[in-house]
Amino acid sequence: MSSLISRALGQPRRTSNRPQRAGVRRTAALAVLTLAATFGVYATASAQTADAIKARGSMTVATEDDFKPFEFVDNGVPTGYDTEMLALVKKKLGINITQQIMPWSGILPGVTTGKYDMAVTAVLVTPERKAVFDFTSPLAQSTTFYAVKKGSSITSADDLVGKVVGVQTGSAMLADLKAFDEAMKKKTGKGLKQIVEYQSYPEIYQDLALGRVDAVANTQINLNSLIQTRPDTFVIGKPIGNPVYIAWAVKKGNPGALALVDGALTDLRKSGEMYALQKKWLGASFESMPQSIN
Amino acid sequence: MTAYDYWSITRGALATISLSLVSILLGVPLGLALALIRWARVPVLSRLVYGYVSVVRSCPTVTLTLLVYFALPQLGLSLEPTGAAILALTVSTSAFNCEIWRSALVEFPRDQYDAARAFAMSRWVRLKLIVFPQIWRASLPALVNEMTLQIKSTPAVAVIGIVDITRAALRVGANTYQPLPPFIFALLLYGVIVFALLRVQRALERRQRVSGAMA
Amino acid sequence: MSDFLIIWGQRDVVLAGLLNTVILLVIAAVASIVLGAVLAALLMSKHKAVAKGAALYVDAMRCSPFLLFVYLIYFGLPTLGISLSNWVSGAIALILYNTAYMAELMRGAWLELPATMIESGKAFGFRGVSLLRYIILPPVLLRAMPLISSQLIQIVKDSAFLTVIAVSELTHEMTSIQATYFIPFAAFVTAVALYWGICLTIEAANGMLDKYAEQRRS
Repeated sequence: MSSLISRALGQPRRTSNRPQRAGVRRTAALAVLTLAATFGVYATASAQTADAIKARGSMTVATEDDFKPFEFVDNGVPTGYDTEMLALVKKKLGINITQQIMPWSGILPGVTTGKYDMAVTAVLVTPERKAVFDFTSPLAQSTTFYAVKKGSSITSADDLVGKVVGVQTGSAMLADLKAFDEAMKKKTGKGLKQIVEYQSYPEIYQDLALGRVDAVANTQINLNSLIQTRPDTFVIGKPIGNPVYIAWAVKKGNPGALALVDGALTDLRKSGEMYALQKKWLGASFESMPQSIN
Repeated sequence: MTAYDYWSITRGALATISLSLVSILLGVPLGLALALIRWARVPVLSRLVYGYVSVVRSCPTVTLTLLVYFALPQLGLSLEPTGAAILALTVSTSAFNCEIWRSALVEFPRDQYDAARAFAMSRWVRLKLIVFPQIWRASLPALVNEMTLQIKSTPAVAVIGIVDITRAALRVGANTYQPLPPFIFALLLYGVIVFALLRVQRALERRQRVSGAMA
Repeated sequence: MSDFLIIWGQRDVVLAGLLNTVILLVIAAVASIVLGAVLAALLMSKHKAVAKGAALYVDAMRCSPFLLFVYLIYFGLPTLGISLSNWVSGAIALILYNTAYMAELMRGAWLELPATMIESGKAFGFRGVSLLRYIILPPVLLRAMPLISSQLIQIVKDSAFLTVIAVSELTHEMTSIQATYFIPFAAFVTAVALYWGICLTIEAANGMLDKYAEQRRS
């Protein structure tokens, strides 16, 4: 208070001759600095060559959060086939791998934008994806099936006419389902009643149990895992797609990460550890898959 | 619901509270900075702030979160989910806070400000001693209201995989096929958090009324 | 640029999502304003039990996050035997949630009404429902119009939450497009621009209604 009064009484104003605009400019600068400081964000490095990765000693990968049995979170700990394979690969390569658990709809776009070096998750290899991604040595093979609630009137794929089917958004199972719908329309003139796109499968299974959807479309491996946990509620149906390989994906033009991981995967195949994990999680081992599918 | 389920939902509460806290602590001063820019009518920035506030206030929190997390990496800014959530929530709340601060600034009596200038106070002193205490008092109810709205919009970050109360409750329900108990528990947790915030607001108002009576 | 061309190629999907958002907005807006007026009357009721019950409902809605409320209606109600489709669940959640907020807004405007207006209305023989309809509600609605339009903007934003229960509104369709074509930036920037467009329209309508209110007031 006293400083104000003494200023008013005697001392000349230091600011009297400063032009108004400079004061405004200072406020603007201060505001911009405040904005910049309060954001305080950082950018992670984008995907690089194998040597760069080795030099850095680390890799960032993305894994889906709920896609049993390939990857899921059990009591707060990520687990599943892909996660355990990743642990083995990490041991072989000796580099630090940061695993980001997140919803499926962000994983492949995240790889294309360079946010992640690799999608370590169950990516079905389709021709459309091959145009954008390169795939590692395949980790499994599967076909898209449908499943229904126990006691449903749907006993074959043709019974799906006029029914509501749930499927995950942005997935290969969705593409398979759409192709199946087209084929059905051509054959019988009528197709599915509706395809409902969900963020992830647990919600679809819940809605299937509630009767909101008549069927769900997923890979045979996933559906088998579902039937194993809830045999009294669900029943697996018939295939509605063609067999596809399941592999991890990197952005095209990133041969470094690909070579590194492929080397580790080949070793794991030779040692039989991959087949053991397949039997453990997927219920069968796929020993006649090709080494490279690019 | 097992004990572990209750624990996982409560752990989600930690995420909710910390995310809300950080975005509020960042968003309130940021909103003030934006409001001051518009009040001072800085030539280009003022218009930018106007546009920014208009767009952000009409953007759903879910869409904004998805944009920050999935779209910004294409421009080179790649964030962890937590960082992206904080950024999205801060941006969202700063736009609303800007309007709250601005309405208090607009009603601020100009003659007090001119008197302060006549007393040769520098701009910073003017703002700190004359303007700020009064607009703080005027904006407080609206700011706390915005804070409760902020807490209620934190479930939006569940779409990028952050396990907050809502997503934790959803997971438990999806695993047990009995969604009602976890959701009710989640509602209780939110109620407790909002109630605590309202208590803080009452306490602050009471302190202000007392100090106001003294002056 | 090619990203935006892909979106343009998918424009029928985008427009369908946008239309869904607008339809949800209109239905929720009309229903919540009408029901909100009724609830506001209950809030101001002289019978303590009725007023307290209404206040409890309003407080419950104001304390709960919208997304949790949606999950409750979509996944929780079926355990009580009521299973609704995702669209209907979303619409009902929007209506129930915003009725409480609208009622609170209108109550605020109601309290500002001059007592003389109501008393002269009573003196002229208006009672009960007709008192409400001809004397109280018109000025309440006009006075609360800016706040109502803010609440409408809030309804638009809440509708984006419905993507988690697979309602094909704008955000849901955009997420689907970006996951299939790997164009997150173009997709979400378009979504933000479209939401901005909707809200600007609401604000323009509010401006027009403001002018009408001014004329009525003078």
